[in-house]
Amino acid sequence: MLVGIFGSMVYKVDPLDIVGSPEQPPSDRFPLGTDSWGRDLLALLLTGTKSSISIGVTAAIIALAVGVVIGVISGFKGGLTDSLLMMLTDVVLVLPSILIMMLIAAYLRERNPLFVSLIIGVTSWPWVARAMRSQMLSLKAREFVHMSRMAGLSDVKIILEDLLPNMASYTFMAFVLLMSGAMIAEAGLSMIGLGLTQGVSLGIILYWAQILESVRRGLWWWFVPPGACLVALAASLLLLSTALDEYFSPRLKGG
Amino acid sequence: MLLEVRNLTKVFTTGLLKRREIVAVNNISFDVRSSEFLSLVGESGSGKTTAAKMILKLFPPVSGSIIFEGKDVVSLKRLEERRWYWKQVHGIFQDPYASYSPLHKIDRILHQVFTLIGDSSSDRDSMVRGALREVGLRPEEVLGKYPHELSGGQRQRIMVARCYMLKPKLILADEPISMIDASTRASVLQLFTKLREEYKTSVIFITHDLGLAYYVSDGILIMYKGSIVEKGSPNEVMEHPQSSYTKRLREDVPLLYKKWEGF
Amino acid sequence: MALLESEDVKAYYSIRQGYVRAVDGVDLVIEKGITLGLAGESGCGKSTLVNTLMMNVKPPLYFMDGTITLDGKVISEMDRSTLKKNVWGVLVSLVPQSALNALMPTKRIIDFTKDVISHHMAVSDSEVVSMAKKRLEELNLLVEALYMYPHELSGGMKQRAVIAISTLLNPKLLIVDEPTSALDVSTQKQVLKMLMDLRKAGIIESTIFVTHDIAVLRQVADWITIMYAGKVVESGSTSDILYNAKHPYTYRLINAVVTPEPEVRKRGLTSIPGEPPNLLDPPKGCRFHPRCSEAMDVCRSREPPLLETKGSCCCCHLVSSGTREA
Repeated sequence: MLVGIFGSMVYKVDPLDIVGSPEQPPSDRFPLGTDSWGRDLLALLLTGTKSSISIGVTAAIIALAVGVVIGVISGFKGGLTDSLLMMLTDVVLVLPSILIMMLIAAYLRERNPLFVSLIIGVTSWPWVARAMRSQMLSLKAREFVHMSRMAGLSDVKIILEDLLPNMASYTFMAFVLLMSGAMIAEAGLSMIGLGLTQGVSLGIILYWAQILESVRRGLWWWFVPPGACLVALAASLLLLSTALDEYFSPRLKGG
Repeated sequence: MLLEVRNLTKVFTTGLLKRREIVAVNNISFDVRSSEFLSLVGESGSGKTTAAKMILKLFPPVSGSIIFEGKDVVSLKRLEERRWYWKQVHGIFQDPYASYSPLHKIDRILHQVFTLIGDSSSDRDSMVRGALREVGLRPEEVLGKYPHELSGGQRQRIMVARCYMLKPKLILADEPISMIDASTRASVLQLFTKLREEYKTSVIFITHDLGLAYYVSDGILIMYKGSIVEKGSPNEVMEHPQSSYTKRLREDVPLLYKKWEGF
Repeated sequence: MALLESEDVKAYYSIRQGYVRAVDGVDLVIEKGITLGLAGESGCGKSTLVNTLMMNVKPPLYFMDGTITLDGKVISEMDRSTLKKNVWGVLVSLVPQSALNALMPTKRIIDFTKDVISHHMAVSDSEVVSMAKKRLEELNLLVEALYMYPHELSGGMKQRAVIAISTLLNPKLLIVDEPTSALDVSTQKQVLKMLMDLRKAGIIESTIFVTHDIAVLRQVADWITIMYAGKVVESGSTSDILYNAKHPYTYRLINAVVTPEPEVRKRGLTSIPGEPPNLLDPPKGCRFHPRCSEAMDVCRSREPPLLETKGSCCCCHLVSSGTREA
């Protein structure tokens, strides 16, 4: 399992800047050829991968933060707070995230990686909130929480000491899944032209490849590597989450 | 009177549009004196655990009152008030595994109670060790370990050690020995007797085991579908049962010294 | 000839640290027409033993040694496919501990039955249905239950249905492992009655009833075998074990049973200090000696021999050396 993850992960985080050498599309001197502007595609790929990953991580952190806070409060408090927060969550869940992302993206003229992360993060937290809430609800009823309660611990202490640590595995997996989804969402946004205006990412590379009709023109070295990279990253993250699930489940059940 | 429970009721509602109501505890009333062992007997679904959790203030009743030493328990809201209550009234649960957070060492279960009794740190360690010895455990053997490294019997004894540190007036023990090996059960029961002898602690045993209730209690309450259907001393309940449920229970419990008819 | 005979049977679990000697040299005899109660605390090896007795042994459990003869056939030498065809379900049937939870929630009882039977016999669906109906009627069970899903049946009903289905091929020996532990007392009595009816109606010849609840065994078993730490410590008729136990573990175990009877109140409850041993590295000599208040020097070094008197047997130095009256 672990070998599979590291084998397919393309974590070449090389801080190579875009090497702009003006050439048309061959494929010898430059391992991955060049694009229509003559830029080194390998360099682009490496920078783009790093960028996509960081967008993924940032967006995941944002979504996780919002989702966990809302889910935990909602699950713990119950009652009216719970109902209200869940209604809010449902509303955001139902809103077509792509449209929202498009609206926000179109509104912001200059879109750097942080903004893109923000856009994606702000629209992907609902399922996290729901998942955290249900974990919270089930943990709340476990006897060890009763024991802490009877010891007179304050609510905050109970959340911090008993509940959150026991939710850690869940949170971790949510993070991994969010990251995978965020990277694909970024690519999607970029492909419709609403992605980054500054910087490079796998999605942007694909976007350029697409608008300059590389498929029709047979410039496979342009769109295949970034696409494969994206798929490999997403797939390896999903594999990671599966492996984590296997690791955590027996531990949670009985140590 | 140590504890007075009057008309205690708990209803659970499920569903948003089509609300369904489950009456878990239906208008029960009983008294507990100090130094008294009482058993709340019932099968699963009888409401006995729900009643216990309400008395432990783990969730609120829908109606009814719980009076402890003259004070209304349900209305206690502030943290200091609740802490005062939990120092006097404490609980032990059935599953000696689920009562511990799997990620923390067992020491935490014991150290937690200092929130209630507050002692200077120098005394803490000796208090914990003393309590462990009272329940027949060697502190070196159990301190610093995780729950899964100890046996069920050890875990349950640590729970009783926690009570030894608190010296509560009332303990609610939910199936305290059902998940322990038969050969060690009697010694865990003795721990409760010791608490009663030394500190006049009363215990409400929540159990499905009529045998245990008969053996250890001064009084038995039998619950069925949320209501108390029988009340009395063990002899009264076994020899002159009033309700048909009790009679059926008495006939269906497997006995050691008498054989069932037709078997 | 006895229905089942086992001789020096050993079955160990292989784990990283070594072998867990769950069943370590067990001799057992089950005559025709009796219900044998197999009792002991958690971890004593009783569930492992009954699975081994029918050769239901899969890694990490390994059959290490011994001979098992069932109905005259030496099953300990059969391979898995022969066992599946000729022994399991046909000669001996096991209702395991979590049988209730093993039912697929999306299959009705009759579908589950067809699956079970088709493994052993080539019968048409309608024949299976009529066999099942007939068996349920014989046992006074609701025939309609066949067409219900597991969640539609109560715990007691499910357990009885599962036991009934496991007897469809008329095995001679039925093994039930903790069949009533999760049920309330009234339902338990119904299930126990059904087991009695199975024997009375001649559908099965003998039963092995595995449980930790000795009071239940007192009601249903003719013969009781007590296990401790992978070995048999005592075996005898129910009344012998209950009122005339010889092994220190046996009579302490009996005296730890609590029932709502005045006799129990009078005698009090006994407890045994310490805890059952780790079977990775069991104590030398008699496995019970660390907890036995009557342990002698020989108990610490040599394993006690099996002493048979009038059919019952006991593994204890105190008994075999005559220190205590047999």
